[in-house]
Amino acid sequence: MNETRPVVHVVDDDASFLSATSRLLRASGYCVKTFAGAAEFLARDEADAEGCVVADLRMPGVDGLQLQNALAGSANPIPILFLTGNADIESSVRAMRGGAEDFLEKRAPKEALLAAIGRALARDGEARAARTKHRALKERFDSLTTRELEVLEQVLLGRLNKQIGGDLDISERTVKLHRAKIMTKLGVRSVPALTLAAQEAGVTSLPNFPKVQ
Amino acid sequence: MNGVTIVWSLVAGVSLTLALIHFPVWLRRRGAWNSALLTSTALGTAGLAFSELSMMMARTPEDYGRALQLAHVPVWITMVSMVGFMHVALKPRYRWIGWTVIGLRTVSLALNFSTGASLNLASITELHTFRLLGEYVSVGKGPHNPCAVLGNLSTVLMGVAAIDAGLGAWRAGNRGTALRIGGTILFFALASVTQSILVFGMGVGIPTTIGLFALAVLLAMAYELSCEVMRAFRLSTELSESEERMTMAAEAANLGLWVRDLSRDRIWASPKLRELLGIGPDEVVNYARLARAVHPDDQSTMLETLAMARDGQAPSHYRHEFRSPMPDGRVRWLASQGRVEFDAAGRPVRTRGACTDITAMRLAEAETVRLRQQLAHFGRVSVVGQLGSALAHEINQPLGAILRNAEAAELLLKCPDPDLEEVRAIVDDILSDDRRAGAVIDRMRALLRRHEITMVPLSVLDFVSDVAALVRTDAMARHIKMELDLPPDIPLVMGDRIHLQQVLLNLLTNAMDAIDEARRTVRHVAVTAAREGNGFVQIAVTDSGTGIPEDRLEAIFDSFVTTKPCGMGMGLSIARGLIETHGGRLWAENDSGGGASFRFTLAVVMKEHNP
Repeated sequence: MNETRPVVHVVDDDASFLSATSRLLRASGYCVKTFAGAAEFLARDEADAEGCVVADLRMPGVDGLQLQNALAGSANPIPILFLTGNADIESSVRAMRGGAEDFLEKRAPKEALLAAIGRALARDGEARAARTKHRALKERFDSLTTRELEVLEQVLLGRLNKQIGGDLDISERTVKLHRAKIMTKLGVRSVPALTLAAQEAGVTSLPNFPKVQ
Repeated sequence: MNGVTIVWSLVAGVSLTLALIHFPVWLRRRGAWNSALLTSTALGTAGLAFSELSMMMARTPEDYGRALQLAHVPVWITMVSMVGFMHVALKPRYRWIGWTVIGLRTVSLALNFSTGASLNLASITELHTFRLLGEYVSVGKGPHNPCAVLGNLSTVLMGVAAIDAGLGAWRAGNRGTALRIGGTILFFALASVTQSILVFGMGVGIPTTIGLFALAVLLAMAYELSCEVMRAFRLSTELSESEERMTMAAEAANLGLWVRDLSRDRIWASPKLRELLGIGPDEVVNYARLARAVHPDDQSTMLETLAMARDGQAPSHYRHEFRSPMPDGRVRWLASQGRVEFDAAGRPVRTRGACTDITAMRLAEAETVRLRQQLAHFGRVSVVGQLGSALAHEINQPLGAILRNAEAAELLLKCPDPDLEEVRAIVDDILSDDRRAGAVIDRMRALLRRHEITMVPLSVLDFVSDVAALVRTDAMARHIKMELDLPPDIPLVMGDRIHLQQVLLNLLTNAMDAIDEARRTVRHVAVTAAREGNGFVQIAVTDSGTGIPEDRLEAIFDSFVTTKPCGMGMGLSIARGLIETHGGRLWAENDSGGGASFRFTLAVVMKEHNP
């Protein structure tokens, strides 16, 4: 049950603010987890849980911006939104440039906070769906044999079966069989759909084609 | 022409005149023994002159004998007086010679009246009369009295005493007096004894002239005394001159002078002092009048000081300050310095001293204090300003928590069945966060308030922790680690909490700036406290910056010296002023770790001796 609900991770060194924020978010219907510091958050269990992070910008030890960097490099880069007691331009610019979902004052109205959290969760949902689709697609590409990949490369270059067969020194019929196999494995019916899938899976750059991802 | 009568009468007259002049002097100044001895010498000389005159005028041996016998009384008076004068004026070494002379002469006087017709002649057998200076004068003749040798011995001995006294005075540098007194007395002694032997011992027919010899001594004495009078006159002139100068100096320096007789309730005050105290020129100054001239708040101290001086409890030099109200309602500040004078037995007899108007100085001092406080306040405002963003963060933290809690409670209460336990917990948290925000504001406001210095015993741990709380957020934002190393056995120090916090705040913000400037990976500042051996505690703020060039270690404490782009260069100068007001020192040195170390000392509170 729980795994399906997104988790709002609140990270703040100020215990009172931490508990107050978690109360509000719980009362607003969110599933909340609190962390007294960035290090605790980064070492959390269930690191793959969906949700978002609401973090204080200024914290002893690892601060908000460092947390943002660490999170971006992790396997589950959930969106982060910052709270600050005293916003200064420099750190807000850095936070937004680092892809922060939002940057709010600690005393921002509840509506702004909840809206920002809502946006962050939605974005996480989308990103997660995209990641799932991408991963599935990638798995399909991974199931192709070396010969099938060679054929695919030629197909994507728009070459005819006869030309491909000549290049690879196989019969045109064999090329057709490979093409049908590729279409089946990748679950596409037409060459344009195939091209699109290849693009989505990130297998468009030709020089390093077979080894990509 | 009765030459003899004239000369001897003249001698007697001169002598009596001198006696008349000097006797009243002695009457007024009983200590003036030389005046008394001169008077008695003069009376003796006059007596001698009359005796000799009556001897010369005697027409029968009996008359002559009686006159001769009586003549020994003025001789005794004259010689005793001369010996006395010699003792007073020349201070001889061998006083016993003089006493022997007096003793022998007294014995001689007794023998004079008990043996024969007189000390000189056993009896007068005939009277030799002849003409002298137009008059008939008599000289008695008869067998020699062997007791006369005693009188002659005393006279010779007086000559010896004169030589001894004269030499002593000569060596002591008192040459004029030695010559005049010693010389004339020696002459008197030798001439008298010679004449006595010639006339009475050998029967040479000449009258005695000892009165004339005595006159020589008398004139020398008179001259001596007139010298002294001249000297006294010169001294008194110089004295009045120096008094004049003193008064001028006192006037110029605005000094009011006073002399207080401790045996009586009476104080002499110079016109300037009367002016300073608002006492009229003819008013009598006693303790009660003085007390009225002093500000009510200072009266008890003033009377205490007066009593202490009187009872010999005050130090021989003392000073106290007091206020004196002026007719226009303003107050004059006066400083009085006194000196106690003691008598031979060590009892205080009088005090004298001077009083200065120090109002201008006091006003200037007060103004300096006010300016320093203003400057210190300005310094605090500026240092708090530097911490502004950190402080805003620190206040926003609890305010944010309050807001979230309130919003949560609002949501909870909208439920049909609200969790009241939770709401209660929320309210508790709101209250504690409110206190937290209030504490930050209070701390800041205490620093920003205008403030007069109040020295109280302080715990070093407390005021350092307060400042650390103010700076913590800022340090965190700048990734600076702040370490406090305060041993628990640090004693209480005497100080003004706000001012010491300001100094520490200033040193800490400087340290953090230095760390930022150094751009090093090690970023920490340490506050340490340690007890020094000499009744002081030393507190040090050490940073991990790059230190201070050795030749700038002192210059950084000057005003308007700064290394910061937007600094005023007042912080350290103010801080040093504040620490020095506390009786401590503030200095900078370079730490062995490469950074700078600012150190200051504070006096430890004296421990009260518990029984």
